[in-house]
Amino acid sequence: MKRMPLLLVCACAVNLFAGLATGRAETVTDDQVAARSEVLDLAGAFENDGFKIRDGHLFGKVARDHAEVISVNLYSGNAYWFSVASTKKVDKLKVAVFDDQGKPVKFEPYAEGNRAAAGFSPEASGLYYVKISQEDSQPATFCLIYCYK
Amino acid sequence: MSDLCNRLLSSVLPCLLAASALAQTEQPSSPVPALAPEEVQHALYTDVMTVPTPGEVFAAIDKGGKPNWSSQYRPPTSFNSTSRAQVALNLGTLIADGFIAVAAKDGQQVKNIGRDVLTLAKKLSVSDSVLARSKSITQFAENGAWPQLDEELAATQNEVKQALEQNRDADLITLVSVGGWIRGTEVVTGLLLQNYNADDAKLLRQPALVAYLRSKLDQVNPKLRDDKAVGKVSQQLEAVEKMVSFPADHVPSAEEVRSLNGLVANIAKQISNIQ
Repeated sequence: MKRMPLLLVCACAVNLFAGLATGRAETVTDDQVAARSEVLDLAGAFENDGFKIRDGHLFGKVARDHAEVISVNLYSGNAYWFSVASTKKVDKLKVAVFDDQGKPVKFEPYAEGNRAAAGFSPEASGLYYVKISQEDSQPATFCLIYCYK
Repeated sequence: MSDLCNRLLSSVLPCLLAASALAQTEQPSSPVPALAPEEVQHALYTDVMTVPTPGEVFAAIDKGGKPNWSSQYRPPTSFNSTSRAQVALNLGTLIADGFIAVAAKDGQQVKNIGRDVLTLAKKLSVSDSVLARSKSITQFAENGAWPQLDEELAATQNEVKQALEQNRDADLITLVSVGGWIRGTEVVTGLLLQNYNADDAKLLRQPALVAYLRSKLDQVNPKLRDDKAVGKVSQQLEAVEKMVSFPADHVPSAEEVRSLNGLVANIAKQISNIQ
């Protein structure tokens, strides 16, 4: 927890970018609309298994040399699926989950082309990180949502 | 022990079942490298991903048995403050109350709270977002469609926040989130005091979340920061952060839960009573 103040200062700076990333910008691009449609389609599979989709989504951009890391606060006892999708042009999208120290945790991976998901049931409540990455050098727009049960 | 097994099964099985639906295309897992320190430092913090809804913590505690949700209702209070900051804080607590009513499967209480939410939303000029949802909320409440109601409430909360952002009242979003988290924590600790168990006590570990909310409160515009209610909440969140900052392997004792409950209940009371 010693790094928290620094982390939060950085977070403040990053939040300047959040207006673009949260999907609340005034104009939504065609790529964002397509990515959101894809991810909702993917999350539908989890919804059918009783997961609730958290209302809200996050847009961002990733390329081979630029992944996006998002902080989430999770509750032990719940199961989560983090789902991400991009436009159909993009291949090899990935999502991974890490603990509050940045170490990878054991999660259930799913990845197929422009869609990916990670299923995770935390043993401890608290901070985790979700990393979105892709192998293509061309930047791609993604949409992230999560479900819980 | 069997309770623990049940809880593990209930949390892991859904993931496995959902994964099985996708198993045909699932890729083998390969070692994932740890995040680089700069990736951790530059991680994105945003309300829509970083701040859980009250429904998420209530879903977690609901697995531990049959919580007496209605025991956590608050008596209706008349709220006359004209402070927009205090209205936003109260709106957050009221939305959390809505989740409690849904968890209790109490249609009348959902409708009562819906009316109160609308009253406060009007004071913040975001009632259109609530009105758009109120008809379906009423219908779902009358039909006992609880999962849909839960989703509708979450959507209402999100739309209120989006409307605040569109109105250039983004600072008030933080206050709605803070109010919701305070009230949610009051309820979880209240239920734990009625029926203490270690698994649910571990839900209280949320140091980064409170640190995030505190940092956001520090960033609100000076006029809002000087508001009496915001000042009081801000001051006491420091103590709350200490209480929810414990190692992952620590289980808060009943006494620790009682202390946290006393503190957050007091904050919630102050949010609704300061004139």
